[in-house]
Amino acid sequence: MQNKLSAPQSATSRVLSTSLSRRRALALSALAGGTALTASACSSGGSSGSSDPNTFEFWSFTGINQKDSVEEYKKLAPDVTVKLTEVGNAQETAQGLTTALAGGKVPDLVLIQAGDLPKFMKNPGNFVDLTTLGADDIQDDYVDWVMAQATAKSGEIIGIPTDVGGMGVAYRTDLMAAAGLPTNRDEVSALWPTWQDFIATGQRYTQATGNAFIDNAATTVFLQAVSQGEEQYYSADGDVVYDTNPIVRESFDLGLAAIAAGITAKLESFTDGWNAGMAKGAFAAVAAPSWMLGSIRSAAPDTEGKWDIAVIPGGSGNWGGSYLAIPARAANPQAAWKYITTMQSPEQQLQHFIDAGSLPTTPVNYDKPELVDHTDPFFGGAPTGKIFTQAVLGLEPFVNGEYNTEISTELLNALNGVEGDGAPADAAWDTATKNIKTAIGA
Amino acid sequence: MSATLTPGTLRGVKPATATRPVEKRWERLAPYGYVAPFYVLFLVFGLFPLLFTFYVALFDWNPIGDKTFVGLENFRLLAEDPRFWNALRNTFSIWIISTVPQLIIALILAQVLNSAFLRFANFFRMAMLLPYITSVAATAIVFAQIFNRDYGLLNWFLELLGFEHIDFMSSAAGSHVLISVMVIWRWFGYNTLLYLASLQAVPRDLYEAAAVDGAGPVKQFFHITLPSLRPVIVFTVIMSTIGGLQIFTEPLLLSNGTLTCGTARQCQTLSLFLFEQGFGSFKFGYGSAVGVALFAIIVVVAFVNFLLSSRLGRKG
Repeated sequence: MQNKLSAPQSATSRVLSTSLSRRRALALSALAGGTALTASACSSGGSSGSSDPNTFEFWSFTGINQKDSVEEYKKLAPDVTVKLTEVGNAQETAQGLTTALAGGKVPDLVLIQAGDLPKFMKNPGNFVDLTTLGADDIQDDYVDWVMAQATAKSGEIIGIPTDVGGMGVAYRTDLMAAAGLPTNRDEVSALWPTWQDFIATGQRYTQATGNAFIDNAATTVFLQAVSQGEEQYYSADGDVVYDTNPIVRESFDLGLAAIAAGITAKLESFTDGWNAGMAKGAFAAVAAPSWMLGSIRSAAPDTEGKWDIAVIPGGSGNWGGSYLAIPARAANPQAAWKYITTMQSPEQQLQHFIDAGSLPTTPVNYDKPELVDHTDPFFGGAPTGKIFTQAVLGLEPFVNGEYNTEISTELLNALNGVEGDGAPADAAWDTATKNIKTAIGA
Repeated sequence: MSATLTPGTLRGVKPATATRPVEKRWERLAPYGYVAPFYVLFLVFGLFPLLFTFYVALFDWNPIGDKTFVGLENFRLLAEDPRFWNALRNTFSIWIISTVPQLIIALILAQVLNSAFLRFANFFRMAMLLPYITSVAATAIVFAQIFNRDYGLLNWFLELLGFEHIDFMSSAAGSHVLISVMVIWRWFGYNTLLYLASLQAVPRDLYEAAAVDGAGPVKQFFHITLPSLRPVIVFTVIMSTIGGLQIFTEPLLLSNGTLTCGTARQCQTLSLFLFEQGFGSFKFGYGSAVGVALFAIIVVVAFVNFLLSSRLGRKG
């Protein structure tokens, strides 16, 4: 539990994927020199050589506890050897995979985080089309829009989703009470059916206490509001529409409104100040996907029992999640596929939720008592499984594109600039769109 | 060595052994063998990647997708890219703010450490190297603890004294100063020791003679110390240039690991920009073009530096 959920670094890169933690940065500086070499030096190595049908190589990232799944698989298939490598955090693993795909030795199976997936989806030929292995038969087991993220325009299925990041709002009951606001999770959820109501509640809190209500506007308001759109940065046809899509602009303006209302603590997510602010009660609420509960737990261990979880304004949302994919040059795709079908079956996903807290991607589990009745004492006994899966079901399939990360980064940067660095609010949108145009040339 | 000297001296005595020419050839080749490992490694890990970068820079190169030859298009885009010019400005700004004070501090400290009257000189000389042998990551964590906007030690003191908190990383000037302080902290000891070693090689009688002639400490410094140190100053200036223009880890660590280094790229250096393009956006061609530009800039700046610093102390 602790292990899977305490993944602040992997969390960072879910969406803020140009964001790296300190520890990571060191590895990066080494990588900066190293990767270019590996790319060219290893170009002869075609596949992993060993063609033993009962052995396959699996690259995962840290903080998501794939070791447990592999151990579990050993029990189910004792004659199979899984060579698990935790390459690094999610982003390092994606970079390692990029290098490997470009001309190195590829694994048979790799875990890719949702935020990194669009870049790989652009060239589906790098991966085995899972429909050739039978993905057609199982794709209906998974949440439709999650599956759609891993399906190429031409119909190839690149990955099978292992977990999702359903959204909620984690809030401090003691701080809410001190501000004279309700503390019961249903009453709190009723305070903010819309984002405007959420900001208004924040103003009530800030007026009563003089403190900030949320950590920052960029991730807690803008990012969540935009993720509720049926169309986000790309249209259904795959055209770049961030600058004309009203949802993006409205979400951005909501972010600006939250900043103007003075309810933000100016603490960017996953920074040292953010961690410290969490422990010191510098803000009362934070948009929290299922995997962030671990970050809260580890950043503020002394606040046990003082938290609870309410429904996110707008009712639905997702942030993050991961997929299992098989590189096209894998030596043993069959063994990898068998692992996927076994370990990502609805039954095994439910078991993994019970063991590790990972939110299943299989809706059949969403009414199972094991999931619905699951509560978390750190968060005041909130039924986390129920709250987070409801948020996932409310979403519609939407189209991601190659430059999702770049677009999102510039929009978040513009908001953080207004909030933390005193950039003028009325120019923020123009700044962001201008920077996006520079970055993606469109 | 002696073998190469013998032919002249022993001309009259014909060598009897038939193996002699073979030995000679072997001895001629042997030195190349001794230095070969370096050159082989350099070729594989230095020269090849360098040339390959030039090649990649001519392509629209997605590492896992299409590679299209675009000629000099990447360089044309680069010239028009405000992010590149911004990164270039930041790089130069950080390089100057960090290098100039660092070398001056090092020179002064070396002078102090060289003083005959200093007690525990060895202790201080060793202490100088501590920041250098401390890992960058550890230094960055400590710096972040000191300079953090909300909970940093420095801002805590400022608050005690009734001042506003300073958010160093939010402005270009603040972040450049902070990064430079970290660079200076890390490298001043290394340069001090280089200067010190050089200073100790300056003959004492030069100073004594100057003193007899009535030159004070300042005159001695400019007329004896500086000219004697010229070679090592040239060396440190060039090394600091190469290092300073490639600065990567410090801004990355101090900005919490964001490749843009701040919301408005206020401290993004050229190497961060290179990495962002190459490995963040998968634009290997464009990233390589940044690398080529950086290479050219370093060559030019290092050469200018060499010209300037070799004139140092020559006049007068």
